[in-house]
Amino acid sequence: MPAYQLTVNGRARTVDVDADTPLLWVLRDTLGLTGTKFGCGQGLCGACTVHVDGRAQKSCQTTLKEAAGHKIVTVEGLSKDGSHPVQKAWVAEDVAQCGYCQPGMIMSAAALLHRKPHPTDGDIDEVFADHVCRCGSYPRIRKAVKRAAGGAK
Amino acid sequence: MTSRRDFLKVTGAAGAGLVLGLHLEAKPQPGEAAKTAFHPNAFLAIRPDGTAQITVPKVEMGQGVRTALPLVLAEELDLDWSRIEVVNAHPGPDFKDLGTGGSRSVGATWIPLRKAGAAAREMLKAAAAATWQVSADQCRTEKGFVLGPGGKKLSYGALVEEAAKLPVPKDPPLKKSADYHLLGKRTPRFDGPAIVTGKATFGLDVRRPGQRFAAVLRCPVPGGKPKAWDEARAKAVRGVKAVAEVPTGIAVIAESTWAAFKGREALAATVTWNEGPHKDFNSRDLEARMRAALDGPADTARQLGDAPAVLKTSPRRIESEYFFPFQAHATMEPMNATAQVHEDGADLWLGTQDPNETQERAAKALGLKTEQVKVDVVLLGGGFGRRLGTDFSREAIHVAKAAGGGPIQVVWSREDDFGHDLFHPATLHRMQAGLDGSGGIAAWSHRIAGPAILRSWLEGTKAPGQTQAETNGASDIPYDIPALDVAFAEVEAPMPLGWWRAVEIVPNVFARECFVDEVAHALGKDALQLRLDWLGQRGRVKVGRHEVDIARLRRVLELAATKADWGRKLPAGHGLGLACHAYDGRTYAAEVAEVSVAKGQLRIHKVTCAVDCGLVVNPAGLEAQVEGGIAWGLSALFTQITWEKGRAMQTSYQDFPLLRLPDMPLIETHVVTSAETPSGMGEPPVPVAIPAVLNAIFAATGKRIRRLPLEDGLI
Repeated sequence: MPAYQLTVNGRARTVDVDADTPLLWVLRDTLGLTGTKFGCGQGLCGACTVHVDGRAQKSCQTTLKEAAGHKIVTVEGLSKDGSHPVQKAWVAEDVAQCGYCQPGMIMSAAALLHRKPHPTDGDIDEVFADHVCRCGSYPRIRKAVKRAAGGAK
Repeated sequence: MTSRRDFLKVTGAAGAGLVLGLHLEAKPQPGEAAKTAFHPNAFLAIRPDGTAQITVPKVEMGQGVRTALPLVLAEELDLDWSRIEVVNAHPGPDFKDLGTGGSRSVGATWIPLRKAGAAAREMLKAAAAATWQVSADQCRTEKGFVLGPGGKKLSYGALVEEAAKLPVPKDPPLKKSADYHLLGKRTPRFDGPAIVTGKATFGLDVRRPGQRFAAVLRCPVPGGKPKAWDEARAKAVRGVKAVAEVPTGIAVIAESTWAAFKGREALAATVTWNEGPHKDFNSRDLEARMRAALDGPADTARQLGDAPAVLKTSPRRIESEYFFPFQAHATMEPMNATAQVHEDGADLWLGTQDPNETQERAAKALGLKTEQVKVDVVLLGGGFGRRLGTDFSREAIHVAKAAGGGPIQVVWSREDDFGHDLFHPATLHRMQAGLDGSGGIAAWSHRIAGPAILRSWLEGTKAPGQTQAETNGASDIPYDIPALDVAFAEVEAPMPLGWWRAVEIVPNVFARECFVDEVAHALGKDALQLRLDWLGQRGRVKVGRHEVDIARLRRVLELAATKADWGRKLPAGHGLGLACHAYDGRTYAAEVAEVSVAKGQLRIHKVTCAVDCGLVVNPAGLEAQVEGGIAWGLSALFTQITWEKGRAMQTSYQDFPLLRLPDMPLIETHVVTSAETPSGMGEPPVPVAIPAVLNAIFAATGKRIRRLPLEDGLI
């Protein structure tokens, strides 16, 4: 069984678990990065979203083998101190309710803004159609994405 | 003789000098009346550095108690909000009711938390007054400081040692609302920064030294048991450490969650079940039994006049049947608990809405004394009634006991969470209205058939309050109708049941408020005017088990209607719908929905909501609850759980289509200014949203929806 190398939040990591282990569980159980959440394990809710080489990806649908050799960023690595524009906008708009789905939402928002600094409502709809928030924080998510876009000008 | 130290704990904090701990929940002692002024379940400590630690006597599940409750205490004590730490209470003698549900948290703690803050404030003022040799009346407090005559100023931190020596005032003066500087202002969620950086700890994020992970293979049919299985197949999976039978199934214990899941999958391929007596249970048969029960005997919840006789002789009678399906909670964080059983007792780390019950039930399961089980409550990744259950924590205790050794985190997959929910039951509603010759309402009958949540909760026992509980939202119909008959016909069902967001009232308010709309249409009356007419000009009235202030309900109705421009001309295919409810007589909500239907496709454009929950503690929290509550209600237009061969047929989000961001309508929240005691906001917006939308669909299309869900969102 070979060990796998990947970069997580700027740090080189070697992981020795099965190749088919979802990145989600590598992050949470092997590397102790519990900011990335388990919601469904089927790619349906978006709670596990991380960045793989800068793109938003569902870590429950990405195996360790697929992630190996790539740059992974989790919510813990988005900024050192919560200063990423999306994190700041999220706090300013008071988006979170229970908060469980929010790391995934934030990672998707950050990837969207990186790709498209001034997203339209349609862009926001498209990205967040992939996410579920059972508390119903949706109106504030939209506002926070727009606030972060303004702040990033 | 008891010393003051019994209730004014002066303890050494690690390297930080003295701590003034106001032990607010101290039990009364003979001869020490002062103690009784402190209500149970609150806790405050101020450190010498001036930071204040507030222990929250309820659990946080997104409804905002870790912000709202500290705000109430901080207001009375004039704390510096930026120097507060918030911690969760542990169940035990100090906190005997941490149970969180029914939108009761703010209302239940409003007076105790204020008294707690006010008592501390008076003591700090007295300590400063003694230091300066002035009268306490010459001192006032502001943002963590006591200010005295001639510009004197001392921080709370500098006063804790002296304050700790003073008696606790029995009846401290409470602030007037005009003097509030924290309450009524928008305060962002306390946990916001921890949540957005991934540092917030939910149940699944608990990591203890030596922790292992487990998944339990459970029979998909309620009451079923495993007959035979081959544990070697599970143990062959890398990382699997043990397989153990527990009361709920077979546990696979592993080094990681993924190994536990894979081990369980391997085990599942080998298991045969004794599915038990419910293996043929299905939704169709249950609905037929429910329909039959509508004609059979029923328990009366509320009776006024002789409604059946009036209905028989009414010149005009309207009758309809409404159906609300089974529902799941689908919290974003699946059920889980981390448990450790050791020589002296047991430890649990989890998100639960009922820490005390969790503690007691875990102790009972192990044959321990309650206090031998320690329960650490972390953040809940959604509660909505699901985490009132102790099924998942008891299961974790059994797994930890069977496994022995270190802590075990039992993780439910999303499929486990759907398949073994404490389901909100389906109900069938027969609505009847008898109209008199002049178009007035003469009689109203609301008969509900379905399984009883409370009986399931009490493991098969019928509680005296069962009928009132199951008919809540129907039996407290606020309209002034001369003859009323509300009854519940119980129908057996095998699955475990539980309360939902808005407890049990969602289906009842749905049927009631849609039927009011039907009657209005039948009479050719405006739905707002008809409700106002039926409410009448009354004050506080007893309706069923609640007391409702009719004037407050009228006010939210009128406010929502005004703000939504009720009665305005709409484009073709658009419609406005209205509904209202007085939630347990405590919080008043009315909503106007605007929808359009084109080619059968529904779009919900906007929901205008007016609420009166008394004094508003945190407007930001209130608006979040209105938005979230409406989102919850709108999801229920599309979701359902159905049953085949004893199994819940929906297994994940692909067949339980919750509302997502693109379909979220614009929400407008309007608040009736009020000085009444604050009451909850987590649930009251939920039940009103569904009939508001369905009544709007009728206005748009002329089609009356009496059965949920709307399959594929189509009308």
